[in-house]
Parts: sequence; C-alpha cells; structure tokens
Amino acid sequence: MSTLEVEDLTAGYGDARVLHGIGLTVGEGEICAILGPNGAGKTTLLRALSGMIKARGRVRLGGTDLAGRSPDALARQGIAHVPEGRGTFMPLTVEENLRLGAFVRRGRDGVNADIERIHGYFPVLKDRMKQAAGSLSGGEQQMLAIGRALMSRPRLLLLDEPSLGLAPLVTRELFRIVQAINAEEQTTVVVVEQNAHLALGIAQQAHVLETGRIVLSGTAEQIRADEQVAQSYLGYRV
Amino acid sequence: MSETDSAQVKRAPAPPAAPRRPAPAGPLAGRWRWVAIALLLAAACYAPFQLVPFHVFQLTMVLVYAVALLGLNLLVGHAGQISLGHGAFFAVGAYTTAILLDHWDGMPYPVTLPLAAGVAFLLGLAFGVPAMRLRGLYLALVTLAMAIFLAPLLKRFEELTGGSMGLTLAKPAPPAWSGLAPDQWLYFLTLVVAVAAFLLAHSLLRSRVGRALHALRDNEIAAEVMGVRLSSYKTLAFAWSAMFAGAAGCVYTWVIGFVSPDSFTVNLSITMLAGLVVGGLGTLFGPLLGALFVMFVPSISQDINDAAPGVIFGLLIIAVMYVAPTGLAGLAERLIKKIPRKE
Repeated sequence: MSTLEVEDLTAGYGDARVLHGIGLTVGEGEICAILGPNGAGKTTLLRALSGMIKARGRVRLGGTDLAGRSPDALARQGIAHVPEGRGTFMPLTVEENLRLGAFVRRGRDGVNADIERIHGYFPVLKDRMKQAAGSLSGGEQQMLAIGRALMSRPRLLLLDEPSLGLAPLVTRELFRIVQAINAEEQTTVVVVEQNAHLALGIAQQAHVLETGRIVLSGTAEQIRADEQVAQSYLGYRV
Repeated sequence: MSETDSAQVKRAPAPPAAPRRPAPAGPLAGRWRWVAIALLLAAACYAPFQLVPFHVFQLTMVLVYAVALLGLNLLVGHAGQISLGHGAFFAVGAYTTAILLDHWDGMPYPVTLPLAAGVAFLLGLAFGVPAMRLRGLYLALVTLAMAIFLAPLLKRFEELTGGSMGLTLAKPAPPAWSGLAPDQWLYFLTLVVAVAAFLLAHSLLRSRVGRALHALRDNEIAAEVMGVRLSSYKTLAFAWSAMFAGAAGCVYTWVIGFVSPDSFTVNLSITMLAGLVVGGLGTLFGPLLGALFVMFVPSISQDINDAAPGVIFGLLIIAVMYVAPTGLAGLAERLIKKIPRKE
C-alpha cells in the first residue's frame, strides 16, 4: 500500500532543468538505491519527492497522488526527508530535535515510546538528550537526523548521502541500522549514495542516474554485476 | 560545511562504558532558574515600598518595556525574523486604550487590555502576511516603513486621536481597600501584566509551537520537511509578537495617562530592537535586562556628559556588544559558569 510510483518527473532550479522525465517504482518495504556521478540529479530527485523544489509529473505514495504539494503537506502524508547536510537544528537539544520530528503527529500518544524506540536503534543519542545537537559529532548528527525522521512514523524515508563526511566504520554501522529499521518497520526507503558498494549491500533494487535521466535500472545484484556500469559510474572494478 | 567541522572539533571523546553526565542546558536550568525567578519576584514586590515615587515610576516603565521586548523577542530571538517597526504595534496598543477610555465614559480600564492586545494581534496578522514572503533586509525595510508612516497617520484623524496634541486621560486610581499610593498601584498593575505575559510567552515557547518557531529560525528548509508550515508560523509569530507589544502599549497609557504621536517615533522601534539585542536575543531574561538598559542607560549617559547623551548611549551599546556579543543575558550566563561547582 505504501508503494512509491514516480512517472515522468521533471524538476530543476529556476530555468535550469535538472531532472528529465524520471520514472521508477519502489515496492512497499523495499530499499531503493539511487546511484550516479556528481551532478546527476540524485539530490534533486529527493528534493522533488519531498516537495522542497517544484516538480512536474506524477508522484504517488500508496495510491495517493502527491504531485505539487508543499513540503509540510507531504510530511503529513508520511514522507520523511533526511536532507543533504542533515538539517540539524544546532542550538536545540537532541531531545527537541527528536520531538520536532514528531511535529506532524497529533497528540502526545506514543511520542515518548517512539523516543525509546529511537534510543534502541541509536543508543548513543540516549546519553546526549539534553545536549545541544550542534555539539554532536558528524556521525551522531546523522543518527539524530535519521532518528528524527523516524519520529514522524514515515511511510517513505528519503536518505540523502548518509555517508557524507563520516568515517568508513561509522558509515557501515549506519547502513546496518538503516537495514534493521527497514526490516522492523517495513518503511520504504530511497537512499541516494556515493558509496555504491554500501548502498547496493542493503538495497533490493537500484537505479543509475546520469545527467537527469535514469540510464540503468535493476536489482541490486544486476547493477553490481554490470561491469561497465561499475567502471563508468560507480568507480570500482568488479 | 563549517558547522559540521566545528561540531567535529567540539566533540569530546565518548567513553562507551561510562556515559558522561549530560551537560545542563544552561547554568540557570531547572530548579535554580525558578529559585532565581522567585527571588526576583519577591524583590519586585518589596521594592515599591522602599523607593521614592519617581523611582517606582521608573521601575514601572521598565516592566512596560519588558513586556514589549518579550514580544519582540518572540519574533526576533525565537522565530528569527526582524522588525524595525515594533514601536508601531506598541503605539497601536497605547492609542486603542486611550481612544476607548476617552470616547466611552465609564469604560472600565481593565477591559482595554484584551482589546488593545487584540487589535495589535489582528494588525500583526495583517502585516505578517506580506512579511512571510520577505526576509532579512527586505523585511527590515518594510517594518521600518510601518513605523515611519504611523506618526503622520495618528496626526490625521484628529477627532479620534486628538491630532498632534494627543489625548490626556485620568490614570487608574488605587481602590480604597488596597491602601496603596497611586504610583504603587500602577506599579502592581504593571507587574501583574508583566508576570502574566512572561508566563504566557514561556508556555508558548515550551509547547509544540515554540519548537516550530525555533526550527524555522535555525533551519527553514529542514523545518519545512519536518512538517512545519512556514507561512502560518511566520505570520503567527508576527501576530503574537504584536499582541505583546500592544498589551505593553495599553499599560503604557494607563501609567503615563497621555499619548501623542511624538511618543511613538521611529526612535522607539529602534530603541526596542537595540534593547533586546543588548539584553540577549532568544533568552529568558534578555527582555528584562534590555528594558533596564533602555530605561536607565540614557539617564546615566546624561549624567556622564550633559551635552551628548545620545553619543554616550551609542558608545555604551557598542561597549556592551563588544564584551557581551550574546547580550547581557549571555554575559551573565558566562559569568555564572565560571563559578566553580562542587560535585
């Protein structure tokens, strides 16, 4: 029911069009990786999906047409976007950041229980609850950003470069947790990632983006096995 | 990504076995903050019985400005918008009160408070709609224009506003049971309004609404994807902020008993903003400290050099900002942190 269907999506900034007719489908509870070189439009795709930028085309989540809605309306529809650079509210405490994640939910029911749940995934946040979020390390901030997104109980989680600026060990841990979250909560995940190896490790399907178009789609296995793709777009040899 | 870098630098090595004690949000956190407030309140109740009437009047005016700055703090300190025209909302509250008391005999003065606050709220809402599309310097300019055109407007409708002569009113008299002098009665009226305003602002900021305002101040885009509707919250921040300024204006009229266009020049708006920044943006005690500053520092400047009080006042603002870039409230916090604590 929370299947994401995107058809003929075009978007850009001002006169510059970045996405040229993107079409993809992500099944409920699936993880979809978006790969591609710099400037391919990966971040723009996520921004278009969460309403941060205006887009044309059809976007449906669980059968509801979401095209042209504002970001806050999309948040209420169950789309949680962990933006590039994490979007941490630096002066606010970790707890305030998490509670802001539950902003779209009416009533207090379950918010405290959900904070417990987030602590389960990210125990390090528990000891930092009263600390200013800006004092956390990069990895901790990324965990906070994902935890905050989960507080809205999203149907669709959009992750933009979770590995950016993090140590390889921290990144691996983070991807392991994303996989656990996906398995436990059946949240549909779209993850944009430069580190193709890691992303393909947790995704069921992947799309390769180049200059605003999808040039290759397939299961994670297929994409991983495609030698030419590996060399041209992903920067590693099979 | 300088934010990320500084966060990395500040990060303390995290011992996985023994979680470090979470640092308090501020030195005046939790119980101690309320002890400080209780002491302050006790002193505020005691002071008028020890001071000469003129000083009681000065303290009353401090409270009036504190309420106005509390409102401005909501908008500037917490919601991250700017207003160079908040004196206009203050004036609207003051004039609403004066006109009501002047034109309707037997109008009980406490009724004018919610009415003045309500009119200012609606005006703030009306201004908030264009304001939500503007930011930074553009918003500053539009709000400044609001302050500039107010005085000529007030001079226009002479029958209502008394023109440039203004309106003179009787001040609220102390009821016999209180046994207070007029100046003391006005002081306590103002104190009640100020405490109520403080509690209202505090509970507003601690709620979901307060979190939404902080979010849009700190990161507009992230706030939006969290589901905060920017247009509504920016407009409402303007309206609430205007409401506090309007309430302060109302109490101003009670206390002074006279309004005229010259009492609400552009200077008032600028002084309010300067006072708030000096006091400490986005802090609990900033509005009170700022109000003390704008009330007392001009007269101190006058004492230092009779010829150029404006220059001295300006220099003092620069001096304060130099030693306390986060305002007097920030400075106080830094000093309290230096006191060694027993574990």
